[in-house]
Amino acid sequence: MLNYIWLSLIIIALVVGVGKDINDEVRNTYRNSTPLEVMFISSQVPSGTVTRCEGQIYLTAKQFNDFYGTSSQLEEVKQQVVLSLLQNKTGNFIFACTEVTPVLWRDMAKSASGSDKLTGKVERIEFSDDHGWAKATIVMESIRFVKLKAITQAAIDFANIAVEIAIGLIGVMSLWLGLIKVAEEAGLVKVLTRLLAPITKRIFPDVPPDHPAIGAIIMNTAANMLGLSNAATPIGLKAMEELNKLNPKIGTATNAMVTFLAINTGGLILVPATAMAVRAAVGSTNIGVIIGTSIFAAGCATITGIVASKLFQRLPRYKRELMDDTKKSVEMNHG
Amino acid sequence: MADLFRTVINFISILAIPLMIATFLIWGFFKKVRVYEVFVEGAKDGFHTAIRIIPYLVAMLFAIGIFRASGAMDVLISIITPLTNLIGMPPDALPMALMRPLSGSGSLGIMTELMKVHGPDSFIGVLASTLYGSSETTFYILAVYFGSVNIKNTRHAVPVGLLADLAGMLAAVFICRILFGV
Repeated sequence: MLNYIWLSLIIIALVVGVGKDINDEVRNTYRNSTPLEVMFISSQVPSGTVTRCEGQIYLTAKQFNDFYGTSSQLEEVKQQVVLSLLQNKTGNFIFACTEVTPVLWRDMAKSASGSDKLTGKVERIEFSDDHGWAKATIVMESIRFVKLKAITQAAIDFANIAVEIAIGLIGVMSLWLGLIKVAEEAGLVKVLTRLLAPITKRIFPDVPPDHPAIGAIIMNTAANMLGLSNAATPIGLKAMEELNKLNPKIGTATNAMVTFLAINTGGLILVPATAMAVRAAVGSTNIGVIIGTSIFAAGCATITGIVASKLFQRLPRYKRELMDDTKKSVEMNHG
Repeated sequence: MADLFRTVINFISILAIPLMIATFLIWGFFKKVRVYEVFVEGAKDGFHTAIRIIPYLVAMLFAIGIFRASGAMDVLISIITPLTNLIGMPPDALPMALMRPLSGSGSLGIMTELMKVHGPDSFIGVLASTLYGSSETTFYILAVYFGSVNIKNTRHAVPVGLLADLAGMLAAVFICRILFGV
């Protein structure tokens, strides 16, 4: 199943990416090699034959939207720009994108030649008598394959992020695995498992009730509910390791593992700390209002997950995958 | 009432880790466990477990990364939007629900954006933060947890996880509509 989902994510991404790029090319979304009439307001008057000249490109929102055929730009465009002019008539321009740059230009800059900078040609420029402003015709650099470039970048970035996350786990991982080992040797985990055995026996019938895996599962769930994700992941991985010791077929998930992950991904929680922090940051008057709704929604998800894992594990196709290969061939001969 | 609950829970969250460290080590000491040696022995596995996850995490995050970058999400949303009207979910909140199982940082961004645009105490704001708060990054957890024990055949874990996410989403829409709906 993960095979199919993984492959579809990648194939859908590539197909959509190529499709969007072809669409952009056909519609000329970025108006490649199309001249754009703008007003240039200079902050310093150019002189001589070759000139570097700073100022602003000015466009009304309507001019911008008409040119690109969108309706996304709501405010007038005032873009700081640097011109390099030849005999005050033609030349090049470059600008760096800032917060006030139109979103479309910012998107274009992401796949442009310079990082977050757009360049282009000044085809014609006519200064007013006092050189304070000018009418200019500019052509932006050609922007192509925006999505394919973004996909390439994302593939590399996310591969790096994955390694950073894993490396970042080493410290907390070691800390919690060390502490749990002490708790195990001291018999603390046994006390915990005995306490909750009536519940865990039903949810994990395949695991002996005093097995260390149960202790780790309980501690992982408790840490998740309190929003202690730093502690939850290492303890959860410890639980997986213990469950794997009971695994008859290494490399294949057991029923208990799937049930455990159903509880884990169900997101059972008492304090949705991150969501509450963001609510506070954007000025909510009642940040705690989501505690109740989150407990309810996560409870429903967790119960559904447990029930679904119990039902699905009875399906023949999933049962067969857990049998070791010798049994499977025997069964196939009989059947 | 909710405030009291929150204060108590917050207090527990802050105390939990120091308390656990103290209990484990002191209890161990009195049970005559050689705490330092045993701690180091256990901690040894931390490095290998973390390193073992890398290939699984790279595979998962890179696929999700290019999926996000390609803009395929927008296509998916335009396909599913008609269905959301049936369950009374505002279409604006759909990207949130779809992104949540895939990417923690992605859905955090969407939630923040939705609350900035619609206001954190609006129906959409409450719904978005409930969706975020009540769920986990399913695919990340599957990759990390199964990766740590080298499990490649995940059997029914993905359908179960997605079904649970769907149930959580429906429950979130349901409860938010009852309490804050218009």
